[in-house]
Amino acid sequence: MKSSIVKNITNLMLPFIQVFGIYVILFGHLSPGGGFAGGSILGASLILFRFVNGSSATDAKFKYHYLLRFACSALVLYGVLKGYVFASAFLGLHDIIGIGTPGSLLSGGFIMPLNILVGLVVAITFYFIAVLFEEGELEHADLVE
Amino acid sequence: MQNLIKLIPLASIMILMLFAFVIPLLKKKKHVYKLTLVIMSLVTVINLIHVVYIALNGGYLFDVGHFPAPFGIVLRIGEVESGIGLLFCFINLMVLWYSYFSLEKEIKSNRIGFFHTLDFLLLASLLGIVFTYDIFNGFVFLEVSTLAACGIIVVKDKKANIKAAIKYLILSSLGSGLVLMGIAFVYSISGHLSMSYIHEALIQNAEGKHNLILISMILFTVGLGIKGAMFPLHIWLPDAHSSAPSPSSAILSALVIKAPIIFLIKVYYLVYGTTILSGTVVLDLVLFLGVLGMIFGSLFARSQKELKRMIAYSSVAQMGYIFFGIGLGNKLGLIMAIYHIIAHAVTKACLFLSAGSFIEQTGYKTIDEFKGIGKEMPVTLGIFTISSLSMIGIPIFPGFISKWNLAMASIESGKILLLFVLIASSLLNAVYYFPIIINGYFGEDNLVGKVFNSKIRPVRTLLPLIILSVVMVLAGLFSGFIIEFIGRGIYI
Amino acid sequence: MQILLNNYMIVGAIFLFGIGFMILLLHNNLIKKIIGMNIMDTSIFLLFVNLGYIKGKEAPIIIDGVMHASGYVNPIPTGLMLTGIVVAVSVTAFMLALTIKLYEKYGTIELDEIQNLRGD
Repeated sequence: MKSSIVKNITNLMLPFIQVFGIYVILFGHLSPGGGFAGGSILGASLILFRFVNGSSATDAKFKYHYLLRFACSALVLYGVLKGYVFASAFLGLHDIIGIGTPGSLLSGGFIMPLNILVGLVVAITFYFIAVLFEEGELEHADLVE
Repeated sequence: MQNLIKLIPLASIMILMLFAFVIPLLKKKKHVYKLTLVIMSLVTVINLIHVVYIALNGGYLFDVGHFPAPFGIVLRIGEVESGIGLLFCFINLMVLWYSYFSLEKEIKSNRIGFFHTLDFLLLASLLGIVFTYDIFNGFVFLEVSTLAACGIIVVKDKKANIKAAIKYLILSSLGSGLVLMGIAFVYSISGHLSMSYIHEALIQNAEGKHNLILISMILFTVGLGIKGAMFPLHIWLPDAHSSAPSPSSAILSALVIKAPIIFLIKVYYLVYGTTILSGTVVLDLVLFLGVLGMIFGSLFARSQKELKRMIAYSSVAQMGYIFFGIGLGNKLGLIMAIYHIIAHAVTKACLFLSAGSFIEQTGYKTIDEFKGIGKEMPVTLGIFTISSLSMIGIPIFPGFISKWNLAMASIESGKILLLFVLIASSLLNAVYYFPIIINGYFGEDNLVGKVFNSKIRPVRTLLPLIILSVVMVLAGLFSGFIIEFIGRGIYI
Repeated sequence: MQILLNNYMIVGAIFLFGIGFMILLLHNNLIKKIIGMNIMDTSIFLLFVNLGYIKGKEAPIIIDGVMHASGYVNPIPTGLMLTGIVVAVSVTAFMLALTIKLYEKYGTIELDEIQNLRGD
C-alpha cells in the first residue's frame, strides 16, 4: 500500500494489537479468550503488517521456513505436554506443575503453556492462509530438498 | 504392565499426530521415509500386542484425561475396535512401504513430506473415529479425516485431482453438517455426549419423542452414508479414488470410507440400541440402499474404460455388501459387515496398488491397453488375479466367506429373495474382473512386441504387495477364528 | 403454532439450516456453495448454543467467588461450538484455497461449466 498515513498509523497500532493478542492468550484460563482467540488476533496483526508493508519486505522479515518450523515445533511440544497429561492422569502419576492459587496468573496447571502454544500455531496458520490466498500457492514450500 | 497396554490406543493416536509434525522439520527425503516406516512399524507392532491382550482379557473403557465419563472423553476398546485398528495400521504400513518405491514418479518431490504428514494425520483421525465413545469427539475426528483425505488427493496437483477433491469436500461438508445436526438433536433429547449415557437417557425419555429420534437417526445415516459412499451418495468416490496417486487411492479406498461405517454401527447399537432401532425403518432403508449399491455399482463398473475408475466403482459395490450386512439387522449380518470391512480393505489395497504398478510401468490408463500385460508383468498380474478372485467370491478367499455368511444371515432373517441379489451381484463382479485377467494372460493379438518379464519390477519393490496378498489369503483361511473374535465384541 | 413461537430460536436455526443446505446443494457457483456451507454451520452453532442457554443465568466465569452451579448457564454446548467454529474455519479456508486453484486451472468457478469442459 502506498499511502504513508496508513503505513505510519498501522505501524503505530501494531504493537498495541499484538500486546492485546498476547494478553488474551496469557489470561485465557481466567477470562474469556484463550489460545485460538488470541492467536487469531496475533495472526491478524501479522496479516496487517503484510498488507501495509508489502509482501517482499514481509517475506524477508518472516521467512516461510522459520515460521513453519516454529509452528511445527509448537505443535510437537503441545502433543508432548498433552500426552504427558493424558498418560499421567491414567497412570496416576503426580502432576509436576500443580494447580496454583485459583484466580492468579500462574494457575490452572498446564492450561497456560498449552494456550501459548495454540496461540503461536493459530497465529502462524492464519498468516499462512492469508499468504496462500494472496499468492495462490505457498512459494518456497520446499520442505524437502 | 496392564496399564501400559491399556494406554496403547491413545498412544498410537498421539504418536501418529506428534510425528506428523516432526516430518516437516526434517530436511532430507531419505530421513522422511526412514522415520515414517519406523514409526508405522512401531504403531503396528504395539497394536498387534494390544489385539493379543484384548483376545485374552476382553474389552475395556479408557478415560482420557482427568475427568471420568459424563464430562470427559472416553475411548471404548473392544474386540472390533482393536481388530480394525490393527487392520488400519497394517494396511497403512504396507501402502507406505510400497510408496517408498513409487511415490516420486507420481507427485513432485517437494510434496513428499506433505504427503506423509497428511497420511499420519489421516490415520490418527481414523483410529480416533474407530476408538471413540463420545459422539462429538467422533465428529471432530471425522472432519480431520476429511481434510486430510482431500489433502492426499490434491497432493498430485493435476486438473482432475482438484476437481475431484472439491467435489469430495463439498459433499463431505454436507455430510458433516448433517452429522452435527444429528448430534444437536440427540443432545437436545438426552443432554449427554458419551454414548452409554445418551443410550440410557434415550431409553428413559423416548416417550412421545419417536419422531425426533427417527429424524436424528436419519441425519446420522445420511451424513455418515455420504462419507461411507452409500449408493446414491457415492458420486464423489469414483473421481476422487481414480484421480489420486495410487498409494492415496489404496488408503482412501481401504481405510477412509471404512471408518465412518464403524462409527455408524457404533451410533446405531451403542447410542440407540436394538430396542429403538428395531421399531424404525432405518435399517430397512440401509438394506435397500445397500442392495441398490451392490447391483448398480457393479453395472457402472462394467461400463468404465479406465482401470482405476473401474476399481473405484467396484468399491461402491463392495460398500453395498457392508450396508447389506448392517441392514439385515441380525447378529450374523453385523459380524459379516465387519468381516467384509477387513476383507475388502486388504483386497482393495492389493488391487489399487497392483493397478498403480501397471499404470506406472506402462504409462497406459484404459483397460483395453492392458491386454497381454501378463507377459510383461506376471507377478503383479498374479497378485491382481488373486485379489479379483477374492472380489468375485471364489472359495477359500475372504470375499467368498463374507458372501456365503451374508447369504446365511439373509436366510436367518427370512429374506430369501436377497439371495438372488447376492448371486446376481457376484456374477456382475465376475463379468468385469474376468476380462481383464483373461486378456491380460491370453490376449493373443496384443502379445506382439511384448517381451517376457520386460517391465517386471524388482521383487523387493513388490514385497509389500506380496505380503498384502498373503495376508488376504490368510484372512480367508483363518476366517473362522476372525469371525469368532469379532463375534465376541459385537455390539448386539 | 404456540410451540413454534415458544421455540423461536430452534425454528430459526432449522430454517437457516434449510437455506444453507439448499444453497450448498443447488447452486453451481463455488463461492456461493461455500457461503451456504457457512450458513449451515452457523445455524447448527445457533441451535447448540440455544440448547445450553438458561434465561437469567450468568456466563460461567469466576469473578468474585464461586456461586452454586445452578447460577450459571450450561457451558458444554458453548465449548463444543468453539471446536465446531475452528473446524468450520479450517474447512472454509481449505475450500477457498481449492477454489483459487480450480480457477487457475479451469478459468471458471461455475461447476456446470467445469463439467461441460470435459478436460483432463
